[in-house]
Amino acid sequence: MLMSAMHFRFAALLAAGLVMAPGIASAQQPAVPDVAKQAERSKQSPNLRGVPISPIAAGADKLPISRFKLPPGFSVEVWQAGIAGARTMLLGPKGTMFVGTQGLGRVYAIVTRDGKHEVKTIAHGLNMPNGLAMKDGALIVVANKNVYRFDNIEDNLDNPKPVDISEKFNLPGDRSHGWRYVAFGPDGKLYIPVGAPCNICEPNYNTHSHIRRYDADGANMEIIAKGVRNTVGFDWHPVTGELWFTDNGRDWAGNEGPEDEFNRLPKGKEGAFFGFPYCHANGIADPDIKRPDACKDVILPAVTTGPHSASLGVHWYTGDMFPAEYKNAAFIARRGSWNRDRKFGSDLAVVRVAGNGMGKATLTPFMTGLLDEQRNEHMVRLVLPYQMPDGSLLVSDEQNGAIYRITYKSQRAAVTQH
Amino acid sequence: MSFGSRIRNALGASAPTVLLVAGMAAAQAQSAASPERLELCATCHGPGGNSKTEKIPSLAGQPEFFLLNSLVLIREGVRKVEPMEPFMKDMKDDEIQALATYFAAQKPERTDEPIDRAQAQRGAQLADPRHCTSCHKPDLSGEQTAPRLAGQRADYILDALRAYRDNTRLGGDPAMSSAAQGLSDADIVALANYAASK
Repeated sequence: MLMSAMHFRFAALLAAGLVMAPGIASAQQPAVPDVAKQAERSKQSPNLRGVPISPIAAGADKLPISRFKLPPGFSVEVWQAGIAGARTMLLGPKGTMFVGTQGLGRVYAIVTRDGKHEVKTIAHGLNMPNGLAMKDGALIVVANKNVYRFDNIEDNLDNPKPVDISEKFNLPGDRSHGWRYVAFGPDGKLYIPVGAPCNICEPNYNTHSHIRRYDADGANMEIIAKGVRNTVGFDWHPVTGELWFTDNGRDWAGNEGPEDEFNRLPKGKEGAFFGFPYCHANGIADPDIKRPDACKDVILPAVTTGPHSASLGVHWYTGDMFPAEYKNAAFIARRGSWNRDRKFGSDLAVVRVAGNGMGKATLTPFMTGLLDEQRNEHMVRLVLPYQMPDGSLLVSDEQNGAIYRITYKSQRAAVTQH
Repeated sequence: MSFGSRIRNALGASAPTVLLVAGMAAAQAQSAASPERLELCATCHGPGGNSKTEKIPSLAGQPEFFLLNSLVLIREGVRKVEPMEPFMKDMKDDEIQALATYFAAQKPERTDEPIDRAQAQRGAQLADPRHCTSCHKPDLSGEQTAPRLAGQRADYILDALRAYRDNTRLGGDPAMSSAAQGLSDADIVALANYAASK
């Protein structure tokens, strides 16, 4: 018993990211809570831990797309295989698809020539280069505390020259929740989240647990959302222009939650508080870090997105290919749980919002069949949905190093053709 | 380290790497490690990956995923191990996979360094509250991303733990950097003897 309790305790610490990386200037080092007690209370298996991601891509013939299920009229194909660790996607104005990774440290560029893709590795050895953004032909790569700018990148794919502009951004270097999704907003500002450096702790909101924005050159930093545990995806609503972001709920508080969140930052509420660490999901007070009226003055999520689902990338669909019911709906990649006895998530979900983005939000699974329920294993780990100019939707799979393409063909049209 | 050396093509020294979709299936084909390559590895890591060389780790019986992941990250420059760089820089995924499969299947032998029993005993006591066995398993044989420590060279573990503690092991597992915090030099000697003795 003793051994299993110990075994489980440290595995829990590691998996939850509670053990802090050393030598990092964190304004406030959170105390390490007793995870053994937390997990005993949460009635979760002692052996839960993160699932390692393969550093080698699966072959195109090994991808499990024949098991994916989609609504009628939709189909999915492999857009590109063989890109190990593929996460963030960003299409350049000249048609280059840039792909960022996490642990593998690479940034890829995929160019299309004569209908064929060529994959180039334009950077490697970086520290979790998950953040990609583009401005005036320059690719900006955010890799933990480092920010690099590759000017005129699409004309220099074979000779990329980075300019290190990290100093101006002054980002913290914690590895825990230290991979960042970044994007330019409609206001031309670069939005960069800094997650909580822990599973559950009281962070310093000036340095952590928030979303910030900068001018493209790193000037004029402002914090626009506080009390955010870890967002790895956000996008602006096509009608309202408001920022919507996912946020991953804490671990070791039970198999059933607190659920992940899809949040709306209402216009004029910049700097608002989203609850971490006191108030989770749709109003659940934290069992470890308590304060009176835990959810007072907290903006609750527009919709919760499931327990431990790892809701990551978001894309509001504006294309013409999909049926009208998908117009201005958000696709969310749910990478799938680790801190849950029965695996959950592992799909592409769609969120529809009533009232032109101001009303009630509802979530429906869209592409499923990604979880092997019998073996309780994720077959893929989706990270980001990304709309292409023709209205098709790409989605990245980090586990297999692949990008899939989802298209729609009206069934009625198909029938009349025959 | 200059950025220029980091930003170079991952798989080729100078020419841009072009991976065509059709080529991917072939790149995945499982092949055996070549005798020439294994001989080269053995120069430092010992025959069958049981090292007799000072400060060079044994590879025999390491978890396959650990070997695969480490070798890829060394090639990529994420994990910095300078002496390995010339061997790794042009190595293809399938050869790395073959090496990982080979060394994972080799029978590990305990290091031939002299073990200080008293130190080993003290190391076991230190290991307990630090939950080393949570990831490295009770017999220290390792699992997934956590390497086998049982029978590993003590002088290698000594260096590795020091580097983790001092945060100089670039690209190493961040969980280990945390686990090694607060260890004294004497603690590290004890832990190295404990692991090597298993």
